Amino acid sequence: MNKLFFIVFIAFLIITAGPLFSEGSSETDDPNTLTGFHYLDQADRAAVDNFEALKARFAELHPEITIEWEYLVNEPYHNKLQTLVTSDQLPDIVFLWPGKRTGNVTGNGNIKDLSPWLEGNRDNFSVAAMAPQGQNGEIWELPEQVTSTHVMFTNDRLLEELGLSFPETMEELIEQGEVIREAGLIPIAMDNKDGWQMQSTFLSALVERTGGMEWYDRAAKGDAQFTDPEFIAALDVIKTLNDNDMFSPGINQAEYGTALTDFVNERAVYLIDGGWRTTNLTTELDDDLKPHISYNTFPDIPNQKGRSGSTAIVTGTGFGMNANLEGQKADNAWKWIWFYSGPEGSKIRKEFGSLPAYNLPADSNDPILLQKLGTFLSETPGGYVLDAVLDGEGMAVLHPQIQEMMFGNVTPEEAAATYEEWVAANDSSRK
Amino acid sequence: MPLLSEGIETRQKQRRKKRNSYALLVGPSVFLYGVFIIFPVIFSGVFGFTEWDGVGIPQFIGFDNYVSIFSDPVFLFDLRNNFLIVAISVFGQLPIGFVVAYIIYRKLVVGGKVFETVLFLPITISAVVIAILWNQIFGPSGLLTALMRLLVNDPRYVFAVFENRVFAMVPILFVILWMYTGVYMIIFIANLQSISPSVFEAAVIDGASEGQILWRIVIPAMTNILFTTSIFAISGSLKSFDLIFAMTGGGPAHYTEVVAIYMYLQTFRFYNFGYGSAVSVVIVALSLGLITLLRVSYKRIEKRFG
Repeated sequence: MNKLFFIVFIAFLIITAGPLFSEGSSETDDPNTLTGFHYLDQADRAAVDNFEALKARFAELHPEITIEWEYLVNEPYHNKLQTLVTSDQLPDIVFLWPGKRTGNVTGNGNIKDLSPWLEGNRDNFSVAAMAPQGQNGEIWELPEQVTSTHVMFTNDRLLEELGLSFPETMEELIEQGEVIREAGLIPIAMDNKDGWQMQSTFLSALVERTGGMEWYDRAAKGDAQFTDPEFIAALDVIKTLNDNDMFSPGINQAEYGTALTDFVNERAVYLIDGGWRTTNLTTELDDDLKPHISYNTFPDIPNQKGRSGSTAIVTGTGFGMNANLEGQKADNAWKWIWFYSGPEGSKIRKEFGSLPAYNLPADSNDPILLQKLGTFLSETPGGYVLDAVLDGEGMAVLHPQIQEMMFGNVTPEEAAATYEEWVAANDSSRK
Repeated sequence: MPLLSEGIETRQKQRRKKRNSYALLVGPSVFLYGVFIIFPVIFSGVFGFTEWDGVGIPQFIGFDNYVSIFSDPVFLFDLRNNFLIVAISVFGQLPIGFVVAYIIYRKLVVGGKVFETVLFLPITISAVVIAILWNQIFGPSGLLTALMRLLVNDPRYVFAVFENRVFAMVPILFVILWMYTGVYMIIFIANLQSISPSVFEAAVIDGASEGQILWRIVIPAMTNILFTTSIFAISGSLKSFDLIFAMTGGGPAHYTEVVAIYMYLQTFRFYNFGYGSAVSVVIVALSLGLITLLRVSYKRIEKRFG
């Protein structure tokens, strides 16, 4: 009886402990079977349809390759990615960011440099997309697009109805505010509940205007201070606009997407957001309104040192591969990466409203807003995006400071000083 | 003598059997508890003394994480928000839950079952759904905001309380009160039902007033459950996360952030695993400290009513 107890007990321990310590079941030695981890919101119908179309085409072109996909979005994606790296279970193909967002993964030898595979094909991509991503010029992921994080989408039809035209200067814009508000409309639709929107889609472009690329370059390298007048002046623009009721009411309480809804429903004259909103505007705007939407940047500001009409540009996201892949498996992973960001995948993504980093011939059948975005990107000079050149953790200091400034609790100088204090002590650019 | 040795042998066998039975029945649970609770707690405790970004070897840094935690004004403000939640739980949810339970149990109101259902309903809904629901009411494009804009004839009206550092927690405290009071009400009703009805009948025959019944019979009989629910309220409040994270994400400007969100951001967004572990140790320590304080108070109350 005792022996029976003992055997049952040990059997139970083995059964329960087995799955805990076993290797991931998805790992396989078959070079034609790969694992993939993609940043995909499965509640976003357009994004899912787009990706399904890409998968179907890839299966047609490479029927011998099977990719077992796993999808997550937002923070859960990044959390799991970090966990997979820590537990040495990184999938064969992973979706990555070119800057510091996935810097913890790309900067620690977990991802293979794609440069050798890219040789001879670099010229087929826009110049910005081929910017080095690693310290030694590595390309960790093949960018699917080049993103402008600051576009001042304008409803020209509403402007005309109000007897206005796109302003040349900030003062002129503020003067327009009164007319627009009197008409019951929002001058500039923006939402900033999460904090990143103001930094990424507006402040980043403003810093280039107030400081020029010379100051921006120094700041990115850690040779300039955020208490410099250039950075304070950029914060001051936001405060001035806020104090003049130019933004959406309750901007710091509004979820991301609220401003887009206001703009689409013609409750706002301007929308400040990233160029990626083209996809949403293409599907959500009425067809008769689309020709009246123009792509602009914020007008000139007082004492401007940077380029007039400049925006903020960042290389887009894309797929990279696990550094441990070799031989046939690595070649198969590259087939997907090249398919996704190369001519085949780019063509499919363009049909769904994305402007690819791969240079496809211009097509007059493209959606009108996509054509406008293409023209905008080719004609608009761009500076950096702050959270692409400075540490993400510091943004958790800067974003609340911008919100505090908008509530009137701190001055632009104080907000800048708090951020500078963090950067000086912690940012990798100062080490 | 052989009889004596046989008896000893039998007893030893029985003891062995008993030991093996214990091992078989308790062993798996102890093993799972060890793997999923004890080991991570020890792991967190150790990691709290290190600097580690999830890759490479953790660096031992002594008490530096704890010094940084208690000198970070964001953490201290988050702690203040947690104490507000503890306060609304212990001094809001419990008394209201108790009073409502008593009213329903003593049938001092008609349609008690309806009130019971209405008050209990929120807890059956996911915290994320509740957060979305209240955001749809309080948010800048929410129902109540739209109504207020009509009433005050100001199209830019928004609830300024969310943008006030001192009072931003008020709407969240209201939602927490609304959401969890029903749980305590149900616990109290269940425990009131365990008091023999004959005790109430005897008290009424002896001419006891409703206040005397409450004070002399019900509360002494309920001190134990009041203590238990207080522990639930305190420990639950200190680990508050889902509702607030879904409702405000801790913003704007950390105004509605709580310690668990602070820990989450440090650990999973900034990959400061050592620092995040130290924060989790602080949460456990605070929880244990408050519960110990409660035990001391409970013993005094027990003496008073015992």
